Amino acid sequence: MTSLGAADLVPVIPELFLATAGMALLMLGVFRGDGSTRFVSTLSVLSLAIAFLLLGLLPEGRTEAFAGMFVTDAFAVFVKSLVLLGSALTIVMSSAYIRSERMERFEFPVLVLFATLGMMMMVSANDLMSLYLGLELQSLALYVLAAFKRESTRATEAGLKYFVLGALSSGMLLYGCSLIYGFAGTTSFPLIAGLFAGGVEVSIGLIVGIVFLTAGLAFKVSAVPFHMWTPDVYEGAPTAVTAFFAVAPKIAALGLFVRAMIAPFGELADEWRQIIVLLSVASIALGAVAAIGQSNIKRLMAYSSIGHVGYALIGLAAGTQQGVRGVLIYLAIYLAMNVGAFAVILSMRVKNGMVERIEDLGGLAQSRPMMAAAMAIFMFSLAGIPPLAGFFAKFYVLAAAIDAGLYALAVIGVIGSVVGAYYYLRIIKIMYIDPQAEPLEKPMHRELGVVLTVSALFTLLFFAYPAPLLAGAEAAAASLLSP
Amino acid sequence: MSLPALLTLFALAALAPALTRRLPNGAAWLLACVPAAICALFAVTAAGLAPEQFRIESTPWAPTLGASLSFRLDGLSLAFGMLITGIGALIIVYAGGYLHGDARLGRFLGFLLFFMAAMLGVVLADNILALFVFWELTSLASYLLIGFKNEDGRSRRAALQALIVTGGGGAALLAGLLLFAQIGGSMELSGLIANPVDPTTDPLLLAAVVLILIGCFTKSAQVPFHFWLPNAMEAPTPVSAYLHSATMVKAGVYLMARLNPAFGGSDIWTWSLVLFGGATMLAGAVLALRQTDLKLMLAYTTVMALGLLTFLIGIGGKGGLEAMALFLLAHAFYKGGLFMAVGAVDHEAGTRDLRKMGGLLRPMPALAVAVFVIALSSAGLPPFLGFLAKEYAYEAGLGATHLPIAATFAMLLANVCLVAVAGAVSVGIFLGPARPELAHVHEAPLSLRLGPSVLALLTLAAGLAPGALGAFAIAPLVSAMSGQTFAADLHLWAGFTPALGLSVITLMLGYLAYLRLAALRDLLARAIAATFTFDDVYDRMYRVKIRLAARLTTALQRGSLGFYLSLVFAALGVAPIGGMLYWGWPEIAPDLAGLRAIDVGALALLATGGLAVGLIQARLTAIVALGLVGFAVALIFLLYGAPDLAFTQFMVETMAVVILALALLRLPLAGGRRRSGLVALRDIVIAGLAGISVSTVLLGVLARPFDPLLSEYFAENSYTLAHGRNVVNVILVDFRALDTLGEISVIAVAAIAAYGMIRFRTRAGKGDSR
Repeated sequence: MTSLGAADLVPVIPELFLATAGMALLMLGVFRGDGSTRFVSTLSVLSLAIAFLLLGLLPEGRTEAFAGMFVTDAFAVFVKSLVLLGSALTIVMSSAYIRSERMERFEFPVLVLFATLGMMMMVSANDLMSLYLGLELQSLALYVLAAFKRESTRATEAGLKYFVLGALSSGMLLYGCSLIYGFAGTTSFPLIAGLFAGGVEVSIGLIVGIVFLTAGLAFKVSAVPFHMWTPDVYEGAPTAVTAFFAVAPKIAALGLFVRAMIAPFGELADEWRQIIVLLSVASIALGAVAAIGQSNIKRLMAYSSIGHVGYALIGLAAGTQQGVRGVLIYLAIYLAMNVGAFAVILSMRVKNGMVERIEDLGGLAQSRPMMAAAMAIFMFSLAGIPPLAGFFAKFYVLAAAIDAGLYALAVIGVIGSVVGAYYYLRIIKIMYIDPQAEPLEKPMHRELGVVLTVSALFTLLFFAYPAPLLAGAEAAAASLLSP
Repeated sequence: MSLPALLTLFALAALAPALTRRLPNGAAWLLACVPAAICALFAVTAAGLAPEQFRIESTPWAPTLGASLSFRLDGLSLAFGMLITGIGALIIVYAGGYLHGDARLGRFLGFLLFFMAAMLGVVLADNILALFVFWELTSLASYLLIGFKNEDGRSRRAALQALIVTGGGGAALLAGLLLFAQIGGSMELSGLIANPVDPTTDPLLLAAVVLILIGCFTKSAQVPFHFWLPNAMEAPTPVSAYLHSATMVKAGVYLMARLNPAFGGSDIWTWSLVLFGGATMLAGAVLALRQTDLKLMLAYTTVMALGLLTFLIGIGGKGGLEAMALFLLAHAFYKGGLFMAVGAVDHEAGTRDLRKMGGLLRPMPALAVAVFVIALSSAGLPPFLGFLAKEYAYEAGLGATHLPIAATFAMLLANVCLVAVAGAVSVGIFLGPARPELAHVHEAPLSLRLGPSVLALLTLAAGLAPGALGAFAIAPLVSAMSGQTFAADLHLWAGFTPALGLSVITLMLGYLAYLRLAALRDLLARAIAATFTFDDVYDRMYRVKIRLAARLTTALQRGSLGFYLSLVFAALGVAPIGGMLYWGWPEIAPDLAGLRAIDVGALALLATGGLAVGLIQARLTAIVALGLVGFAVALIFLLYGAPDLAFTQFMVETMAVVILALALLRLPLAGGRRRSGLVALRDIVIAGLAGISVSTVLLGVLARPFDPLLSEYFAENSYTLAHGRNVVNVILVDFRALDTLGEISVIAVAAIAAYGMIRFRTRAGKGDSR
């Protein structure tokens, strides 16, 4: 069949580099022991940065590798940039945390690297096979990370739950894939898409396959009703791992979701739209309401992420170029807001260790005014209050939904954002008005401070100069819909 | 000039705290110069534009999307702009005096300027996105300002309530504007209002109008959303005077006026505005008379005034809009002035309870003069601006196309109430016997008197020079609101008209109401106590929401893996059934004729195993039963010509049972929990549901003609391309050789890892240090 030439590997260079770096760092860690964790962490961040640069050096336009199973286009580059950024920031932010929580083992950054590799494969998947391989590479690394703090029963429980439910979802996904293969006769996205080009009637077996595929992917992005693992895993996993879960894997999984729906099944948007709308509405509703009663901030962020996935799915439901653009803008802004919020959560340390109740933020405005102001920016932004970035994230997907005629969905989105604003505002109220809790330990770690400042400035000032991000998302969306 | 003006104000807001720290006494005066200058700039611009003219100022924002930051300068936006900056300058000075010596003065002034910039943005914006952003910024600023006394629980509640109500309305507004933009094909207000449209022709447009009106009604405190405004009076008085009387609450009125050229004249628009405006006007009037707190009294008359403004836009036509323009200015002048005056009295006397007031004319003569002028205007006496506004409003009511008598009567009631309140604020405070407990009161400082005095002068000047007022403000306002050129012809004395007669009746009734204020108050208090208030409804909804959220979460998220799995399978069971109910049941025609006894036996084995898994309570036995299911499946493979697959399945099932049993025996679970009958039943139902519905779907799939694409391809090519007769083997070692190689490598790596772990464990077991 097709031969594997060296030129064929050009689009995979960032991934190849990351895989090699991951294995080299693993060996380094094994031979040097846990004392080398900081060194390995630094090199991991460096590797991610180099992969980021390599990504930028790739030739423009659409290129394929591995006999068309792997594709690099503007969409992949956009999402991969976000994923690399998210992973690198997580390692940077967690270095202080893993040291103080006695989980400083070199496997931590290495696992993040392998998970990131899996995510990059997911985003570039152009075939059901490569989709599954990337997804599993990512998932296996994540299962281990969730249970990384072995001596903590909560963490191991979280890891186990994640694994069992994740395995179930993988099973459903595979089932869907095999049905699709059976009825389409191919696993390649472009070839599948080619089947529908003439507007032929679609066999019901294929539709059932798509439904199972969608259910499996919904698990990975934690959309309702496949979200159950999220709050438990977010709360149980070590905070540094939660910070990671909340950002890079979510972005990658949504990127994959979008590609797996649009690239092969773009012509069938009318068939799968109902499913996405259902997932989206349920996620928005649950995300808006369920977080109200939470007292643990990590759990709250879990529900918040469920709600945000619901909003991102609005863009996918639209199924248009505008909708995909909305999703991409959403992901970029979501990255900034969540990284920032988790930088604050990772700083919630008192004399006797980490705290994670929302009340522990009480009176933060007096004791740490700048940190409280940054957190307030993130909360207002997550609530979608203009002119902060989070508002524009919602705006672009809602506008796309209205353009696509999904009026009810847009209205539900708006209502959900009003209801959901309550719990974000509650955090602000606690920080600014409630009595002082035990003051957080000073000083904040330098790297956390830097991450916090940069993400707060981005969230605050996005509205002043949105053009570059919008243009990037526009080009990426165009590359997916009209390759 | 719009963008530089806005940026200047935002920058000034950021600088205010630092400046106030340097110059605690002069900062407010200094800061007030900037909005005053901007006001003058607007005045010059307004004088240079013909009534129907407008100017668009546009700056690129996100050029790739064609979004631009555009502003529209015309009669409406400039009039509002002048009110916002002009009254704003007075308020800044006033706030400097009101919070004199307070450590948080700088922050307060900063918030006020921030609000001013946001509000200016609302009225100037032409791009709907920009309009919405500024709109929400004003809500945010109002949240910060109402909650300024954050140690006070009622302030915090009021702040949050205002934010939830106006923020929620804002969200509706966004949805409405987006819909309107989608239908109108433009993101710019100028494009959207260029042509009149009838919302009843398009259900989506109707939805857009309703959503936009919800946004306007919440912001401008129309019934039934009016309750937040009086609660917001917990804020310091400069805030009440500025945000909750002169400017922010008029944002909704502004937007209705702005959109009037598009929707005005359509029935839905007219009726909504007239009905809700009328109800708000009456509710505000009645509730105002009930109060003893002077500030709350003013707050409810503000609700009433907002209702009247909405009502007049609804009546529409030249007459209605002209009256609305006049009343807009009159109200901004006298209500701002009255609030500031009451605040000044409160500041000096320490109370704003009407029943404890009286005789303050002697200690505060200068303030008293200003208040009397303003109160006369508010009561609608000549030669003040309030008189003009009231005359023209009556004229508009009498000339209304729908229900002129009812409209006029409603306005009469509202105006009577205004007269009574004006009496309470002027005569009640300053005349009458001097109270001994108020003997310590002195004249208010200049900073507190400046605002009322300037506004008193303005209301007098405007009343005395109606021609100039008409040319400068009213004609451009009405032109912008109607979308047609309008020439104002205002007269203080229009002869003996029905409106004048109504004015006389108003004054007489108002005087009576003032005299019997205490009795009226008791009567109203009793009547209102018997009914419910929307404030209570808000509280109840708030509590219900929180309780519902808590219940929902504990019900769904109980932390048990088993429960989560049941949920997933339940979804798997219900979703296909739902789909089939919606799209129709598949045609299932299984061919039962060819079924042999041995087939039935295999199926029976399968069913027995499945049922046993559900019924058996002990873990180990259940696992063995599960193995039975696997064996039955393998048997079916065997019977239908796939012996290789069957043997693989036999092996996998055996290994699975052995490994699971071993693992369970090693774990400290023995004995332990057993499932109760009820739980077992639940599990059987869920599993059965999932199994049956997925099987049904699959049967439906298979009932359709099978697509032989793949099998034909492999059957044709296996021998010719790979020289193999067993298709499965050929696929494994030829077509998918690379995949097979990958699988083998994975198994090899896993074996090495397992070996490493076993070695590691044995070494650790011998006590070696790691």
